[in-house]
Amino acid sequence: MEQLTLPKEKLPELLGEIGSKFELVGPIEENGFLAFRKINDPKEINLDILLSRVPPKSLIFQQTETLFTYAKGKDSKVQTPKIEETKRVIFGIRSCDARGFDIIDPVFMGKKEGDYTDPFYTKRRNRSILIGLSCNEPDANCFCTSFDDSPANTKHVDILFTDIGDKYYVEVVTEKGEDLIKKVSKIFSKATEKEGNIRKETEKAAIDAISRKMNTEGVVEKLDKMFEHEFWVETARSCIGCGICTYLCPCCHCFDIQDESTLKLGGRVRVWDSCMYEEYTHHASGHNPRPSRMNRVRNRVYHKFNYFPKNDGIFGCTGCGRCIDYCPVNIDIIEVIDKVKEVNV
Amino acid sequence: MTDENPYQPWIAKIISIKEEASGERAIKTFRLEFQDEEVKKKFTFLPGQCIMVSVFGTGESMFAISSSPTQKDYIEVSVMRYGKLTKALHLKEEGELVGARGPYGNSFKLEEWKGKNILFLGGGIGQAPLRSVIDYCKDNRKDYGKIDIVYGARTSRDLCYKDEFAEMSKKDDLSIHLSIDVEEEGWDQFVGFVPDNLKRLNPSPENTIAITCGPPIMIKFVIQNLLELGFKEDQVYTTLEMRMKCGIGICGRCNIGNLYVCKDGPVFSYDQIKDIQGDM
Amino acid sequence: MVENKELIRVVEETVSRDDVKYVVGYKRGTYGFQIKPAFAYSAKDAKEFFYSPLCAKNLATYPLLEEKLPLRRGEEAEHKKIGIVVKGCDSRAIIQIIQENGLEREDVVLIGIPCKGVIDPKKIAKRFPKQSKFVDVEENNNDEYILEIGGTSHKIPKDELLSDVCKSCEYPNPPLYDILIGEAEEEFQPEHFNRVDELEEKTIEERWEYWEKHFQNCIRCYACREACPLCYCKTCMADLLEPQWVRRSVNLSENTAWNVMRAFHLAGRCISCGECERACPVNIPLMELNKFVEKEVKEMFDYTAGLDTEEKPFLGSFRPDDPEDFIS
Repeated sequence: MEQLTLPKEKLPELLGEIGSKFELVGPIEENGFLAFRKINDPKEINLDILLSRVPPKSLIFQQTETLFTYAKGKDSKVQTPKIEETKRVIFGIRSCDARGFDIIDPVFMGKKEGDYTDPFYTKRRNRSILIGLSCNEPDANCFCTSFDDSPANTKHVDILFTDIGDKYYVEVVTEKGEDLIKKVSKIFSKATEKEGNIRKETEKAAIDAISRKMNTEGVVEKLDKMFEHEFWVETARSCIGCGICTYLCPCCHCFDIQDESTLKLGGRVRVWDSCMYEEYTHHASGHNPRPSRMNRVRNRVYHKFNYFPKNDGIFGCTGCGRCIDYCPVNIDIIEVIDKVKEVNV
Repeated sequence: MTDENPYQPWIAKIISIKEEASGERAIKTFRLEFQDEEVKKKFTFLPGQCIMVSVFGTGESMFAISSSPTQKDYIEVSVMRYGKLTKALHLKEEGELVGARGPYGNSFKLEEWKGKNILFLGGGIGQAPLRSVIDYCKDNRKDYGKIDIVYGARTSRDLCYKDEFAEMSKKDDLSIHLSIDVEEEGWDQFVGFVPDNLKRLNPSPENTIAITCGPPIMIKFVIQNLLELGFKEDQVYTTLEMRMKCGIGICGRCNIGNLYVCKDGPVFSYDQIKDIQGDM
Repeated sequence: MVENKELIRVVEETVSRDDVKYVVGYKRGTYGFQIKPAFAYSAKDAKEFFYSPLCAKNLATYPLLEEKLPLRRGEEAEHKKIGIVVKGCDSRAIIQIIQENGLEREDVVLIGIPCKGVIDPKKIAKRFPKQSKFVDVEENNNDEYILEIGGTSHKIPKDELLSDVCKSCEYPNPPLYDILIGEAEEEFQPEHFNRVDELEEKTIEERWEYWEKHFQNCIRCYACREACPLCYCKTCMADLLEPQWVRRSVNLSENTAWNVMRAFHLAGRCISCGECERACPVNIPLMELNKFVEKEVKEMFDYTAGLDTEEKPFLGSFRPDDPEDFIS
């Protein structure tokens, strides 16, 4: 893995150069929160706020996607829209959000022979070059370390930037990353051992600054034993059934499919959906397998901490803390899992 | 359902429509033919598998294929008029185009069951997937032992495939036991629920597979009665149902526990589902 | 000033009544300045109840969230009351719902809190970020909030953290209650909700640009709807498929349709608790829409929502002298 450094003041120059060669997406502050947007001027980028409000999963698994269009009338000509495949650089993604892609990749891209592949997700995933940015000062509800992750993990990105004072420490992780660096290499210097040590210390300090921890040991097995427990009624009692926890989650991947048409052209559209909604599982017959908030909250917790581990061998949570930060009624997933462990069965 | 886009359906023409049941719970069987010759040639499925049918401008829904794979020229779906999509489908006429993609899900293990007796227990529109298996068994009659079809609906008007049953009963290579829930003038067969008809018939579990499909409450009591008759848990098969959108295991909505009905189902043995933890 | 001891005593007493199913109030949250709804099913559960200027959440939504699941054979529907801790605006929400026949007066026991205004969670989190432990806030008699973080005491002028809606609140005391904790607050002359004035000073184009900027961020999580005590329709028009009034596609056009429809639907019904704006994860200033409609309703029809359970709902009543000049 190549280790480089970049003086901080040269970042706009680098981004300008990347922007001239690729489509560049990065975090900007808008209406008081951070959002990943197409970058036209590198000065717009905001690297002070830790997490974007909506996770960057929306860049790859878009909230609204036209799956195909059809001509209305007799001939029903069906057509798949073209998905852009030229490379796109996503700058400033945090470890947890990048790891989110690793978690939902098998869902969309298949994991075994015979699995279907979602072309929209797959093509956008493949066209993306992820340049990560280490978190030096984690937020109150950050708990990525509970999943053996680190705020400065190179594992989920193509290139990782770490702020080491007056410079960025740059680690080139993948071939995709190398290809990019080759195109803009002049601007970097080789990293020294001393700089490498500062980078390590920075990571350690960031890890130490994470104060919240989720203890997931044995949770899969425990959940197996408490599906019918009263605990779920208690946990769901305060839930108001909004979709914030799911929509802001980097691992939630459920969607709805609807036909939407104008007079001449129609499209089949997929949009994010949330298992927190009553309507989500409502059968046409009127029967609903998940008629109450208890069923829905339970399903969400089980999906992340029991079904994901069983199906894909990984927890469906990155520890980004968004569902805790923005839940209007403080349903705190760390507390929920702590309490799961305390339940007597 | 192109190689590139699994969400994009093929175009199929409705070549015929048969009204199976009328009234409030109207049921129609749509015979569909893929328009693309390549697709028509390549499309294969197994009894129990499902297909996603589109009405462009309205949406799509998953249906059990009710025809047998031995019938290669077309596929059929039997649809009860219920929600948005099924209402739109019922308005379609012969010759109109719809979309179809699939087949999805697992199937009944008919290869494994060669040499066995098969007992079908259907209720209402739940007979649709069973019809695929029945027709398949009829076309491979020598491969299977005794075949009994127990089928019931609320009223005689709600019974599907009446003419087909009439045709079948002319031959003596399978037995048909129809029922309706309440007395009706002119009805000379069993009156009562399917689980009761099953008890009355008292079939032997010996070398027999029982397949049941229908309303959840019927399935519950059918299974209960089968177990009382001495059927083992792995001799009993049923299908499960959940709301579906993608049909290919991605959209996340049809899970019962960690299983997705669209790809891990819809066919399950009672053995597999008796202890399943999930909302159904 | 609300004495927590007194609050706990009243909750204990209420939940111990035979005709009360549970009492919903507030307890300390898991981090920062978060509070969470607390449910007392027995007197011992009341211990964790508390009240502070952080208790912004309008709990009036809970009796309406109770699922009425199909009864099993032989099972009878339970007709027990729900106790709710209510501030002025929360009480008004209950009044409004009763007025619309969404609840019966005898369905609820209202534990009234004379309110001095609540803290805007977004403002305080911005002022004191990265608090992973719960921090309580008190209000002194000097219009200041007092809080302690890591042994350091902070005094913040009330005005800096107070919710915008509270600044223009005319009804700090619950107009309807069964038990009042402490003494009613003195009526005070509220400020005008000046965010609406600022908006009205802008040109139509500027206003459109402003809303466009916000609506395009809407992720249609419907947290505004779910948090709102007056959004309690059994099936929301946004969820209807036949006919489909709002498409599921998330784009400026559909998002605008959703937000404008919701604002219209709350005309003469919104009681200005600000819950929608607090819940919104993408900072859409929803109260500006609601306050604008409130102002129009007040000016044209001299109507204020949520004051009298016996009054006819605004859109369900007609007076011969209702203005007609908007019909041209």
